[in-house]
Amino acid sequence: MNMTTKRILMVAGLVIAVVRPVPAHHSFAAEFDSNKPVTLKGAVTKVEWANPHIWVYLDVKDDRGGVQPWQCEGGPPNTLVRNGWSRDSLKPGEQVTIDGWLAKDGSKTCNAREVTLADGRKVLAGSSGGGGQLR
Amino acid sequence: MKKYFAATLLAVLAAVVALPLMAAQQTPQPPSGPAPRTPSGKVDFSGVWEKPYVPDMTKDGKNQKGVAELPFTPWGAADWKSYDAAEGDYTGACLPFGLTRSVNSPFPTQIIQTDTYFAFLFEQNSWFVSVPLDGRTHRKDATWFGDSVGHWDGDTLVVDTANFNGKTRLDTVGHPHSDQLHVVQRFTRPDLGHISYEVTVDDPKTFTKSWTNTRTFTLRPDWEIMEYSCEENNKSLWEGRIKVPKYPK
Repeated sequence: MNMTTKRILMVAGLVIAVVRPVPAHHSFAAEFDSNKPVTLKGAVTKVEWANPHIWVYLDVKDDRGGVQPWQCEGGPPNTLVRNGWSRDSLKPGEQVTIDGWLAKDGSKTCNAREVTLADGRKVLAGSSGGGGQLR
Repeated sequence: MKKYFAATLLAVLAAVVALPLMAAQQTPQPPSGPAPRTPSGKVDFSGVWEKPYVPDMTKDGKNQKGVAELPFTPWGAADWKSYDAAEGDYTGACLPFGLTRSVNSPFPTQIIQTDTYFAFLFEQNSWFVSVPLDGRTHRKDATWFGDSVGHWDGDTLVVDTANFNGKTRLDTVGHPHSDQLHVVQRFTRPDLGHISYEVTVDDPKTFTKSWTNTRTFTLRPDWEIMEYSCEENNKSLWEGRIKVPKYPK
């Protein structure tokens, strides 16, 4: 396999891995509100890679120039690993945009539907509710 | 060379994005051949199996045929109407999922089989169910997963499960059942790479008649069962966003 073919397959594999849904263990509605979508932009401060869900922590700048710490639930590590991701797929310091849904309790917590890096690549796709549509 | 690379790359990306069945494309073909048999001549179901994720047993999906409308009794309909996972979600608390919800889970299951036992190793929360095949009758103690016994109907393995404690739900969306639940699972192996699976739910307190889902499981020789500790980092429970249901003692 020449270098060109390797690069093409690598990019194609990344795109395929991004689009697979990552369901998990509990009811989405137990914790999150599918009527409250949210988009967060900030710097990753920590990634916890453990079952039942990974958690991504990020600092988000507010309107007053301050920084607010947020936490977002991702998919289960087992499925993410089978889809080609690893604990090194997202690192502290990286700028990300997270699209997801807010927690019902009003805390700075979200369910991450999509995590997008500054260069547009999407990583660690997945949510606990199969897209927030489940009861 | 660069132009060729860029054009080829764009073509590959376009094709990949346009294909609606990404997962199917990524999934390798299962091995082909006849269904294997044990030394004693029984169909051998051993292996790591990819199952369809079935969060809602009334819905159809890839490799899953649901039941369009559940035949609720008044009790069942009232329970379903009043159910709100935000008021208590036992799976979010990492309590045992129960039988159907474990089979419905998105993670693979390994089957281990001998002449006298048939065992499910669920990756979901690293749980297992052991099914004796020696002709014994059901034990009487009610449990989260119920009590399973198995027998052969020709080349079909039938797993009959009763004595559920009634604390679980049938699927992720929360369809109800009672402690009168009786589940019959039928396994056939049409070829090396597949199991034809049928699950019948009978619960006279919750449903006026029994109903069935049919599915196809796919052999994944490239997979191993992984550890899954639900308790390790269950922040949602610890931080109070998920409530534990109240069960009578």
